[in-house]
Amino acid sequence: MSQPIPDGAQTRGGRDASSLPPRAPGPRGGRAARNLTWRQRLSHADARWSPYLYISPFFLVFGLVGLFPLAYTAYVSLHDWSLLGGKGEFVGLQNYREVWDNPYFLKQTVNTLSIFVLSSGPQIVMAVVLAALLDNRLRGATWWRMSILLPYVVSPVAVAIIFGSVFGDRYGLLNQGLEAIGLDGIGWHTDRLASHVAIATMVNWRWTGFNALIFLAAMQTVPRDLYESASLDGAGRVRQFISITLPMIRPTMIFVVITSTIGGLQIFAEPRLFDETNARNGGADRQFGTITMLIYDFGWQLRDLGRASATAWMLFLLILVLAVVNLMLVRRIGSLGGGR
Amino acid sequence: MTRRPGFLVYGLLAAVVLGSAAPFYWSFLLGSHTAEIAAQGVPPFRPGGHFVDNAKRAMDTIPFWKAVGNSVIVSTVTATSTVVLGTLAGYSFAKLRFRGRNALLAFVVATMAVPTQLAVVPLFILMSKLGWTGTTWSVIVPSLVTAFGVFFMRQYLVDAVPDELIEAARIDGCSQIRIVWHIVAPAARPAAAILWLFTFMATWTDFFWPLIALPPDNPTIQVALNQLQSGFFKDYSLVLAGTTLATIPLLVLFVLTGRQLVAGIMQGAVKG
Amino acid sequence: MSHPTSRPVSRPRPRSRVRTGLTLGVLSTLVLGVTAACGSDDDEGGKDGKTTITVATFNEFGYEGLIEEWNASHDDIKLKQVKVGTWDDAKANLYTKLAAGSGLSDIEAVEGDAIAAVLAESDAFTDLSDSALDGRWLDFVVDRGTNADGQLIGYATDIGPEGICYRADLFEQAGLPTDRAEVAALMGTWDDYFATGEQFVAKMPDTAWYDSSGGLAQAMLNQVENPFETDDDAIETDNPELKAVWDAVTGNVEALSSKNSQWGDDWTSSFQNDGFATMACPGWMLGVIEGNAEGVEGWDIADVFPGGGGNWGGSYLTVPAQGDHIDEAKEVAAWLTAPEQQVKAFDAKGTFPSQVEALSMPEITDAVNPFFNDAPIGEILANRAEAVTVQPHKGPKYSDILQAFQAAVLRVDDGSQSADESWEQFQADVEALG
Repeated sequence: MSQPIPDGAQTRGGRDASSLPPRAPGPRGGRAARNLTWRQRLSHADARWSPYLYISPFFLVFGLVGLFPLAYTAYVSLHDWSLLGGKGEFVGLQNYREVWDNPYFLKQTVNTLSIFVLSSGPQIVMAVVLAALLDNRLRGATWWRMSILLPYVVSPVAVAIIFGSVFGDRYGLLNQGLEAIGLDGIGWHTDRLASHVAIATMVNWRWTGFNALIFLAAMQTVPRDLYESASLDGAGRVRQFISITLPMIRPTMIFVVITSTIGGLQIFAEPRLFDETNARNGGADRQFGTITMLIYDFGWQLRDLGRASATAWMLFLLILVLAVVNLMLVRRIGSLGGGR
Repeated sequence: MTRRPGFLVYGLLAAVVLGSAAPFYWSFLLGSHTAEIAAQGVPPFRPGGHFVDNAKRAMDTIPFWKAVGNSVIVSTVTATSTVVLGTLAGYSFAKLRFRGRNALLAFVVATMAVPTQLAVVPLFILMSKLGWTGTTWSVIVPSLVTAFGVFFMRQYLVDAVPDELIEAARIDGCSQIRIVWHIVAPAARPAAAILWLFTFMATWTDFFWPLIALPPDNPTIQVALNQLQSGFFKDYSLVLAGTTLATIPLLVLFVLTGRQLVAGIMQGAVKG
Repeated sequence: MSHPTSRPVSRPRPRSRVRTGLTLGVLSTLVLGVTAACGSDDDEGGKDGKTTITVATFNEFGYEGLIEEWNASHDDIKLKQVKVGTWDDAKANLYTKLAAGSGLSDIEAVEGDAIAAVLAESDAFTDLSDSALDGRWLDFVVDRGTNADGQLIGYATDIGPEGICYRADLFEQAGLPTDRAEVAALMGTWDDYFATGEQFVAKMPDTAWYDSSGGLAQAMLNQVENPFETDDDAIETDNPELKAVWDAVTGNVEALSSKNSQWGDDWTSSFQNDGFATMACPGWMLGVIEGNAEGVEGWDIADVFPGGGGNWGGSYLTVPAQGDHIDEAKEVAAWLTAPEQQVKAFDAKGTFPSQVEALSMPEITDAVNPFFNDAPIGEILANRAEAVTVQPHKGPKYSDILQAFQAAVLRVDDGSQSADESWEQFQADVEALG
């Protein structure tokens, strides 16, 4: 396609031909031509419409799979809706009020936030550090990098057994170790904070490697010569990391923070696996029940789809608020490291 | 970094890898003993000799290979599609200017906040109206392209594809599709590899939706493995032998895709 | 490469080959995916006039042999079993598809405690009443499967009559009798049971008397007529019978209970650690004990249950109204739950029959379990089934309230609340159920 510049072609960004470096006029006429040829029109259309074309497959699927459930949930939340019996009458915001007044709602919201802080915070830090460690010329680099993904593929059944054996209140490994050195065992399932720590450990164990690889991919786009000139200037590895690496991976950092916020506030599988009661609502006193577990409880155990949908929307709003807050925090931190 | 990493780095990494791999080894151990040892939760250090027996039993009890085949197809198609469509959409959001771009992007990201537990009911209703329940479509279509994938590729491409390069290509008269083909695709490769791997793994380990949406004689592997847990007394040696076996294709995948990530080191040269 | 004046014609060769390869890979994957997706459309029925009836079960119903037997002898109707691991998953599947209005199997197995919730939505299920089947099942089982309009919505499959399983070796160490009949004499009433328990723990302070407070609560609740709801399904949890159960369970927590949560990890480990000496034992629990207590010698089962008899568990086969082959499904369900078939299921997987005739069949009366000291379990469980006098009324909210109750018991077990506090919270939880 070695054609000269189609004169008169303009991109949507408004770059006009006058800003281009001078060129010998090509066979298709000079800048003075007023009528665009069909080829030029094609190019113009291409520039204008291809963004929409490229995002349309996503929005097609998304309309089906993302929007419809969202709208449906909103609709359901405004009605008295039984899972089995179906749609009842319109009740406006009553479901929301009932959820708000539910004795466990506040408790489980606090649980969710607590587990979120205990998991996402350390997880991101560890993931960044881990990625920095892997961003070296290691021997057998592939093996090191891939083995940190192992936790992600261990089956939930195995996770439940293993972490149950480690965190068992009476016969668990950790407590046995503590008792062996003379300390009291910890009530991993019964004590509220201890249960959050245990669950956060399970979550971190599973997801840190995942996030570390994401950071690693980003770190590897950082040009090596930046590091070289920095070390020539006398900057140590840690300084280089803070001033070069971190700011350069800011978009990825934003990504990880946002997705961790969203995922961290939706934690469902780990607390359920950790729960030994039959109801699996987060412990006998719901000491480690999260909001998504409450949604499941309303919808699938109590079979009240209306309240479940209302809870889901409240969670949705909570996530939005926190995600925006975290986004602003990350932007602020990124700029401290050297401005981008 | 031209210096080779020292003991500290290797030491820390070794600790991390140990922590990551130990539970996997643990689940293999449990699958290699007999049922009563497995029921106790903490197995002895050395494997029992029963892994092959348990694995064979698992393969006899459930349609193992059929389920693995289904999972491979579903995971491969969704992973590939997510990467391709996600890269396209991610590129548009990252580099192309169009009306409503930022608002749309924010909206896309916001939808990740909808919990999946609730999406199940409307999704199933939708699938049955479309007549897709009981077919593999119902499992593939919802994952053809995800908000996660689009957002991920967008963040990566923002920096990985230099604006100057695209401008130069536009000046040369390249159409968008050629830009994508010649510039964006190579630049996106490390992130694409990761996204492909992640999507594959996520689809492979998905349980609840395939349980509901797929026909019972044509399950994916997680649904099939769940059948090993029937009965009031769960034979964990059987279950874990089955799950460990089912993880092996993923491990193979790790090795194959891992090289793509290493190749990313070369990409750094583009920005020079 | 960033030179603007010429269009770079070629990329380094290896790269474009890789890219071509990748493209081919992508395309072939998509083609593969499309053909796979289209090709898996199963054409159920309509072929050669054969009808396929799907039977959805969970846990282990023992139907594998029965289905083969039917398929071998029937040409026009073929059976296919759809198994899910646990009732939890089966329930999620059932509820989703009820809500969506399609997708269920022709026959859906429903767990005993949840049948009441299903009964409340009887429009979604077929009336299975059939006078030809009168008298097939034990009375209390039929009652549970019948809705307020007198329609029989579920055919009972198995039941869980309870005996008391005990560790004869631990009894011996504590100076208690070990013979089944003698043990039975010690536990005819709950007072006797607790008194014997106190004797036991006096001699064996490190071992609990029973496996869990939750198990005890379950056993006692199954003997109360209206534990949580009145006969017209109004919720009434502040009643004297329930309070009596509560007091008995929480009163004995310190002295006699293992304080473990039933089915949890500590509970499972307690089988191997001599954690307790007795437990309430429905037929299906025998398999659980055998598995968890492998290698432990000394288990036995006594033909007694404090308070006379109790039933824990049991399931039903229902026929969803959204199916295409209602009549055939009804026929199949009736066949599967006939005494002859259920007895074969018992042989296979230990599911104890709920059918009156089955109780006197040789497969039952002669059944012996070696792990439990060769106890004649068929006879024992049949006796216990006949001793069941009370079947608690279980309305649509029964499971939910039961869960709240068990959680309340656990709170006392783990010491986080006193019995009174936990009772108050239980009442509040029930109110919040709405």
